[in-house]
Amino acid sequence: MSGAAGFDIRLPIGVLFLVLGALLALYGVMTLGDAGLYARSDSVNINLWWGLALLLFGGAMYLFGHRARTVQGMHPSETSPEGIATELREHALGLEREDRPGDTRP
Amino acid sequence: MIRLVWIDYALMVAYFAVVLGVGWMLRRSTRTSTDFFLSGRSIPSWVAGLAFLSANLGAQEVIGMGASGAKYGIATSHFYWVGAIPAMVFVGIFMMPFYYGSRARSVPEYLKLRFDEKTRAVNALSFAGMTIFSSGISMYAMGKLLNLLLGWSFDLSILVAAVIVLAYIFFGGLTSAIYNEVLQFFLIVFGFIPLVYLGLRAAGGWDDLQAKLAGVATQNGFDPGAYTHTWRFMDDASRNPIGVEWFGLVMGLGFVLSFGYWCTDFLVVQRAMAADSMSAARRTPLIAALPKMLFPFLVILPGLIALVVVPHALDAGAGDPAGLAAAGQGIIPAKIDPATGAALLDRTGRVVLDYDLATPMMLVRFFPAGMLGLGLTALMASFMSGMAGNVTAFNTVWTYDIYQSYLRRGASDQHYLWMGRAATVFGIALSVAAAYVAAAFNNIMDLLQLVFAFVNAPLFATFALGMFWRRTTGHGAFAGLLSGTLAAAVHHGMSLAAGSQPGVKGGYFGAQLSYPSELAQTFWTAIAAWVTCFVVTIVVSLLTRPRPADELRGLVYALTPKPEETARHWYQRPGPLGAIVLGATAVLNLIFF
Repeated sequence: MSGAAGFDIRLPIGVLFLVLGALLALYGVMTLGDAGLYARSDSVNINLWWGLALLLFGGAMYLFGHRARTVQGMHPSETSPEGIATELREHALGLEREDRPGDTRP
Repeated sequence: MIRLVWIDYALMVAYFAVVLGVGWMLRRSTRTSTDFFLSGRSIPSWVAGLAFLSANLGAQEVIGMGASGAKYGIATSHFYWVGAIPAMVFVGIFMMPFYYGSRARSVPEYLKLRFDEKTRAVNALSFAGMTIFSSGISMYAMGKLLNLLLGWSFDLSILVAAVIVLAYIFFGGLTSAIYNEVLQFFLIVFGFIPLVYLGLRAAGGWDDLQAKLAGVATQNGFDPGAYTHTWRFMDDASRNPIGVEWFGLVMGLGFVLSFGYWCTDFLVVQRAMAADSMSAARRTPLIAALPKMLFPFLVILPGLIALVVVPHALDAGAGDPAGLAAAGQGIIPAKIDPATGAALLDRTGRVVLDYDLATPMMLVRFFPAGMLGLGLTALMASFMSGMAGNVTAFNTVWTYDIYQSYLRRGASDQHYLWMGRAATVFGIALSVAAAYVAAAFNNIMDLLQLVFAFVNAPLFATFALGMFWRRTTGHGAFAGLLSGTLAAAVHHGMSLAAGSQPGVKGGYFGAQLSYPSELAQTFWTAIAAWVTCFVVTIVVSLLTRPRPADELRGLVYALTPKPEETARHWYQRPGPLGAIVLGATAVLNLIFF
């Protein structure tokens, strides 16, 4: 599940929701019992509850992402058969020419 | 105007930091043009599926569906259950084998392989233009909303959004856009679930909501159930708020517009083309269809709820000199007449509601500081994913279908990679310009909706004939596309919706046909365009020489071996998955009949 990046997408999802969840839950704790603030959400401390939910989701995502194997060092068109096939086809059709060694400038 | 607290800003900053971080970290693995434009064709199906869905989920979707929910009731879900799901199933099962199997790197490139260069050119140029304008409109809508709700500078909002999107696409290409689209999907889901929960609580649950909406329905001259049923009142255009009967809806929206978009728009198809195998590519739209089915509950319900809840006591009298809140419905304010500064009235003397504000008002009404920051971040994420989707589609079509095909062929891969990055820069610059054009001309959004319908509607006829009838020729496709678009313009010019002025809304050739609503007019324009393209393509194809069968192998249904299904489990196969999706959608239609 490494996708095209060498790192699994579940890692940034996990990180984002862990951070968002922690911030929300923290704010929820800080404003515990603030009736004025939570009047519009029908007295539900939505920040705390939903913050915890986000933390759970973020944690789960991060764990799954961490456990998955990541492809080290190689980049996508070198690793995926479809990527290689696309690159070869572009050369075969004359759409692109072979890169000469040291060819990094346009 | 809403005042934000530190927590709201903290949440936004966290989101932007992660988005930019993802882009930055991907720069090392974006080394060839295939990486930049097609993610190296290595995206797993669940990621591609969520990106497929999310690329389409611009702000027009999130805000627009809330607005439509308030305006048309639960029948708005037709845009999903009739107007998206069947087409998504079709493209996954029947069309991806050609898109993916033909090894085309873009939709216009498929047209070149199947037909000829001039057909590709028509599609590439019109599509490139459309993406720029779409992206610009996203920016404009976002700038306008942030200015209205939060008092942020229109110019600064646009600039900051443009720079952020530019940064992450410049560095990470399509992969960056896809990863961030998946992030945005989850953000929208988590941002809106609490809104629906709190809103339903305040409205008293679905049953109470239905009862209250019955009041709104009768007030607007409909049957009590008109806002809470999807099909019951579709027998006659005058009985439902959309103003269309079932045939126009099914054919215009369900068939032409929906298939025209989901099956031919490179914005979404690109995500499926980035998948890591044929099997994954076919599953991508189907995986996208599963959450898509449930989105009405997330984005349409807030609009319905906005009609019936009362403003909170804390918000009473908060800066409402024109009494707009009182003149409105529920928490939806009335539209301001720019001339008088008071509430705008329509021809029958009723107050015109500013439906676009339904969802934002819901956020403000129910979310305390903290959650409000999350909700606003989700909104901004949806605007930005709309922009990013359009920009990645633009830079690919520009580089492969315009630049590489007509301007400079046979250069090195690094050159095209460089061009892709340059295209991202000028694509975003042009989008910003388009945003200002939209700001200057009031009707530009209507105009562009029109242009999209003119261009997209005939496209599906071209593709359908191209993929399933080997006799279709390049001349036929080209003639069909042009005549279909012309037919759309003519039909639009000859028709007018009840209560509209001639001009952008149609009727510029004299209003011979009258439709009960603009949507009905749009659906029938699309039908006219599709039928014309279909017929003309067939006729011209029969008069011109077709290509030999061996040139069309892999491009036409009859000449392509059925794709080998390599998936291990039955639920990973497109056929059974498609059946499940359609079955579940049918059930949803029945529940809300």
